Amino acid sequence: MGIIHGEEMVLNIGPQHPSTHGVLRLKVRTDGEVVSDIYPVIGYLHRSFEKHCENVTYEQVIPYTDRCDYIASMNNNLGYAVTVEELMGIEVPEKVEYIRVIVSEFNRIASHLLALGTYGLDVGAFTPFLYMFRDRERILDMFEMVCGARLLYNYIWVGGVSHDLPKGFVETAYQFLDYFEPQVKEYNNLLTYNKIFVERTADVGVLPPDVAINYGVTGPNLRASGVKWDIRKDEPYSIYDKFDFDIPVGRGELGTIGDCWDRYWVRMREIEESVKILRQALKGLPKEGDVHQAIPKKIRPPKGSIYKRTESPRGDLAFYITSDGKPKPYRLKMRSPAFTSLSVLNKISRGWMLSDVIAILGSLDIVLGEIDR
Amino acid sequence: MTDDRDKLIAEAVEKALKGDMDAINGIEDRVTRSKAKAALHKAKKAAKAAELTSADASESDAVENQTETISTNQKIASIIDGEFPGSVVAQEGESEECIYIQSKFWEKVASFLRNNAVLDFDSLQCVTGMDMGEGILEVRYNFHSMKLRHSIEIRISTPIENPHIYSIEQIWRIGDWFEREVYDMFGILFTGHRNLKRMLLPDDWEGFPLRKDYETPQSYHGIAVPKVKEEWE
Repeated sequence: MGIIHGEEMVLNIGPQHPSTHGVLRLKVRTDGEVVSDIYPVIGYLHRSFEKHCENVTYEQVIPYTDRCDYIASMNNNLGYAVTVEELMGIEVPEKVEYIRVIVSEFNRIASHLLALGTYGLDVGAFTPFLYMFRDRERILDMFEMVCGARLLYNYIWVGGVSHDLPKGFVETAYQFLDYFEPQVKEYNNLLTYNKIFVERTADVGVLPPDVAINYGVTGPNLRASGVKWDIRKDEPYSIYDKFDFDIPVGRGELGTIGDCWDRYWVRMREIEESVKILRQALKGLPKEGDVHQAIPKKIRPPKGSIYKRTESPRGDLAFYITSDGKPKPYRLKMRSPAFTSLSVLNKISRGWMLSDVIAILGSLDIVLGEIDR
Repeated sequence: MTDDRDKLIAEAVEKALKGDMDAINGIEDRVTRSKAKAALHKAKKAAKAAELTSADASESDAVENQTETISTNQKIASIIDGEFPGSVVAQEGESEECIYIQSKFWEKVASFLRNNAVLDFDSLQCVTGMDMGEGILEVRYNFHSMKLRHSIEIRISTPIENPHIYSIEQIWRIGDWFEREVYDMFGILFTGHRNLKRMLLPDDWEGFPLRKDYETPQSYHGIAVPKVKEEWE
């Protein structure tokens, strides 16, 4: 690769382009069809999240976190709520913890389904996308049952959740899991081991573990490179230490460790692990309990700073909150996992064909709402 | 003096246990307040554990946990100070949660953090800019070691008139984007950064929005900026 030396050309992909997964612009320098440099231009979706947060109370921040990573809003809500709770020293009732884990894991499945489905689209497989969206739809229906919203929930509050689980939710959840588990096999037949798909993704865009760590890549992308690091296991928050589940890591089954196929495969395996957690959580869910009991009347954390990480479907989602004892945050910084994942794009796409860059970008699973904040 | 303080803490904790957190938040003195918070946390933990096992065992447990979390930052601060005397700035009351480094030492300390086998901080987790008021800007770095599984927080302050901090972009490559974002929002110039341009805002934006003295412009490229409503209208 990189042996041909023709005339160089600068290409613009985006900001409006279906395979950039949002409003992302890539300035690509190509040599013939071989990419020699990529410069991502971001900020098209910047809504000054951090500036807004300094002007609203702690409760009012939660709807803003919804709109950052709009694919996995529950996990964003949870990350923020957990951070503020630790800053204030609030203990949350057990029932709330179970509800939180249930909705976050459902959201993780929904998010991964979207990521994998659109990844299929990126490399030219249309059908799996429809299958996965069909199943994601059922999860969204369940969220509608829980809180009335399908995408932006504002469900997990500091100290509790906005509504208790409705009647019949647990049964619906079990029904869904029973239906959903065999579907994973169908996805594997349709896409995972599909010859064309494997040819497009295996051995492409290899991300070595040391590079991944140096670029701050986290979550499934890091695990695909063979690094066993999952905050749910290594630094448990909420009640994740109560559940028994595995952390899938990339093994280079069809290519090299850390290639696009591994990143895809780790997500597929994580869906199965989430199902495992969900079954345990639904089983252990306490029947009695008030979900509003621990919600403080006034959120006014004591002076101080906190940095707290949680595992969102895209990686380490962290909030850095500084309080000066007033009802509004003095400073709130969100460390978004997709931001760091995108930064490695230039490093791993150099030397590949332009069409491979689309495959690499899709495999990183970025959400522009979270990158630009 | 100590008796008074203990009494104050005990009262505040008692109130807070009944649900009135303001009793603790209202304490003026910072040290007393944090002590009260710790006492409350301990009291809650003890009360919870008392139902399951004996209260004594859990109390000693809580104390042990606390000393453990305190020591990571302090332990590493003493290692850094031993290697580069005078680089760590002593800050009262906050030495457990972070390490203050003098900005002129940062270049050496940063590569020491990355390359020393005992520290081995291979992952830069987050870079946060902050306007501390009174003409001081601060940058806070959260480091983590994937191998040794420990993390620290480093803080460096710089004057707002001439904000310069050494760039660590070539040691941790993610620092590139993180530092550009801090520059974008606070105008801190990172010496040695190879591409210090605006990240999220347009290139022709004026001012640095997250500074506390920032004033929203009246218009941008001829488009009027709508006024912010103070309350509900």
